[in-house]
Amino acid sequence: MAMSAVTVDRLTKQYGDLAAVDEVSFDVPDGQLLAVLGPNGAGKTTTLEILEGFSAPTAGTVRVLGTDPHRGDRAWRARIGLVLQSTSLDAELTVADTLSLFAGLYPAPWPLGEVLELVDLTDDAQTRVGALSSGQRRRVDLAIGIVGRPEVLFLDEPTTGLDPEARRRTWAGVGNLTSAGTTVVLTTHYIDEADHLADRVIVLAGGRIVADTTPGELRRRGGPSTICYRLPDHITGADLPPGLARHLDTNRRNLIIASNDVAASLRELIGWADRQHLDLAGLEVGPPSLEDAYLATIGEPSTSEVHSHA
Amino acid sequence: MPDTAATAATAASPVAHSATNTAADVGPSIRAVRLPGAGKLLVAQIRYQVRLLLSSGRAIAVGVGLPVILLVASKGKDTRPDVAGYAVFGLTITAWSTYGVRLVAAREDGVLKRWRATPLPRWCYFLGRILATVLVAVLAGAVTVAAALVFYGSHFGDGPATQLTVTAAFAIVAVLFLGAFAWAATATALTSAIPTVEAAFPTLIFIYFPVIIISGVLFTNISEPQWLSTFATYLPAQPLMDAVTHAVRHAAGAPFLPVRDVIVLACWAIGGLLVAIVIFRWEPHRSTQRRAARIQQ
Repeated sequence: MAMSAVTVDRLTKQYGDLAAVDEVSFDVPDGQLLAVLGPNGAGKTTTLEILEGFSAPTAGTVRVLGTDPHRGDRAWRARIGLVLQSTSLDAELTVADTLSLFAGLYPAPWPLGEVLELVDLTDDAQTRVGALSSGQRRRVDLAIGIVGRPEVLFLDEPTTGLDPEARRRTWAGVGNLTSAGTTVVLTTHYIDEADHLADRVIVLAGGRIVADTTPGELRRRGGPSTICYRLPDHITGADLPPGLARHLDTNRRNLIIASNDVAASLRELIGWADRQHLDLAGLEVGPPSLEDAYLATIGEPSTSEVHSHA
Repeated sequence: MPDTAATAATAASPVAHSATNTAADVGPSIRAVRLPGAGKLLVAQIRYQVRLLLSSGRAIAVGVGLPVILLVASKGKDTRPDVAGYAVFGLTITAWSTYGVRLVAAREDGVLKRWRATPLPRWCYFLGRILATVLVAVLAGAVTVAAALVFYGSHFGDGPATQLTVTAAFAIVAVLFLGAFAWAATATALTSAIPTVEAAFPTLIFIYFPVIIISGVLFTNISEPQWLSTFATYLPAQPLMDAVTHAVRHAAGAPFLPVRDVIVLACWAIGGLLVAIVIFRWEPHRSTQRRAARIQQ
C-alpha cells in the first residue's frame, strides 16, 4: 500500500485573532512534487513551517513520514530536507566545506561531488559562500537541503529573487531529485514554476485551499484557448467569411480566435484556407493562460472550487 | 513506491542511479544506518566555529591585538602594567561582545534556525558555539600573557615576587577557560533579550564597560567606594583577574587558584548556561514580525 509522505488534516494556525491557515487538508503521496501556490500572506510559509516542525498547529493534525513534525527527533530530522525562505549561510566558509559540514550530520549523505553536480556548483566548490551570487547561494541552500538524502524535501520559495537563468538551473536540480524518488513540497508565487515542476498544485488564499489540482487542470479553468493567425499580405479582411471576420483584430491583419471548442474553430479556419489555397504558415494555437486561471482562482475563494485529489 | 523506483532506474542521472543502488543494496530502509555520534559532531562544531571566529579579522584584532598593544604602550619608567587586567580585557571582549554580536547576527540571519532543522542535537550546536568562543578567548588571554613574558620577562606584575612558572601557566589557562565560559554563557542568556543586530553591540557594551571599570580591569588606580569594590568581587571580571594574579604570585606563596574566585566564576558559568538554555531563541525576531505584518495586510 502506498504511504503518504505528508498528511495534513484540518490544519489551523492562529496568530492572535487571525487564522493564517484555516482548516487545510491534503495528502502528498510518496514521490510526488506538490507546489503550494498563493499570494503573500496566503499561509504558504506558515503551513510549510508547521510541516518542518518549527511551529505547532493551533488545531488539526500533521504527519510527515508518520511523525508529528513538532515532536520530530534526530532520526526523523535526518529523513527530511529543507530550504528556508531566506538564505541562511555563514559567509566565511567555502561551498565544499559548508556542504561537508552538513553532510557529516547525516547517516547516509550523498557524495559531495554528486550534490555539487546536481545543483551545478562544481566549479564553485572552493569559492567562499560570501563571494557567490544570490542565485548560487540559493543553490548552496538547496545542496544543504538535499545532502542528507532526504525522503521528503521542503522548499520555501526556492527561486524568489533569482534571474531566469538561475531559476532554470534550480529547476533542473529539483527535477533531478524528483526523478530519484524524493517527495517534494514547494511553495512559490510563480505560476510557471509550478507548471514546470509540479505534479500537483494547491492554491492557497486567505489561509484556505481554493484549488487542489494539476497544472493542466488549473490551466483549463483559465478559459478558452487562443488561435492566432496573421493574414498573408495578399489576403484582406474582405476575403474572410463573416464567421471568421469577426475575430479580426483592430488593424484587420491578425485573426485572434478565443475558442472553447478548438477543433470546431480550426475546422472552420482550415476549410476556408483550403478554398483560398493558403498553407496557414505561422498559425499558433495557445493554451489558456495559467496566470489567468490562477488569478481567477484566488479571486473567487469559494468552496465549490475545492477538488480533492487523493 | 514502485513508480518512483522505476523512474529512478531509467533516469540517466548518476545521482538517480546511486539512489536506486542504495535502496536496492541496503533494503527498504537505509535509515537503519546509525546517526553520527554526538562526540564527533561536537568536535566538528567546535572546529567549524573556531574557523569562523579566526577568519573574522576584526574580531581577532580587537580580542588579541588590542590588549597586546595596550600592554606594550602602557609600559612606564617605574611601573609595570597589570598583565592580568589586559589578559582579562582581551578575553572578555571576545567572549562577551564579539561572541554576543555574532550570536544575534546568526540568529537574525536565520543561521540558527537552519541548524535547528538538522539532525544535529541542539545542545551540540549551542555548546559547540560557546566552547569555540572559550577557546579563542583563552587564546586571546594567553597571547597577552605571552606578550608580557616577551616584553617584561618572567618577573612581571607588580613586583619581583611575581613569576610565571609552568604550573602557574596551567593554572592561568584553567581559570581563563572557566572565566571565558562564564562570560560566554551569560552573554548567551542576554542575547535572547536583544531583538536586532543593531541593538546587540550597544546593549552588550552598556553592560560591559561598567563591569570592566568597577572591576579595575583597565584602570587600577581609580578610587571607588568600598561597597562598589565588594560588589565587583561578585561579578565575573574581578575574580578572574584576582585568580590570574594569584597564579603568577604563587611562587611567592600566594594561594593557588583562590577558591572564592573559582566559585564565583563557576556560579556565573552554570547560572548563565541554565538561563540561556531556558530562554534561548533560535528563530529570528524579524521573520515573526514580517509574517505578522503580512497577515495583517
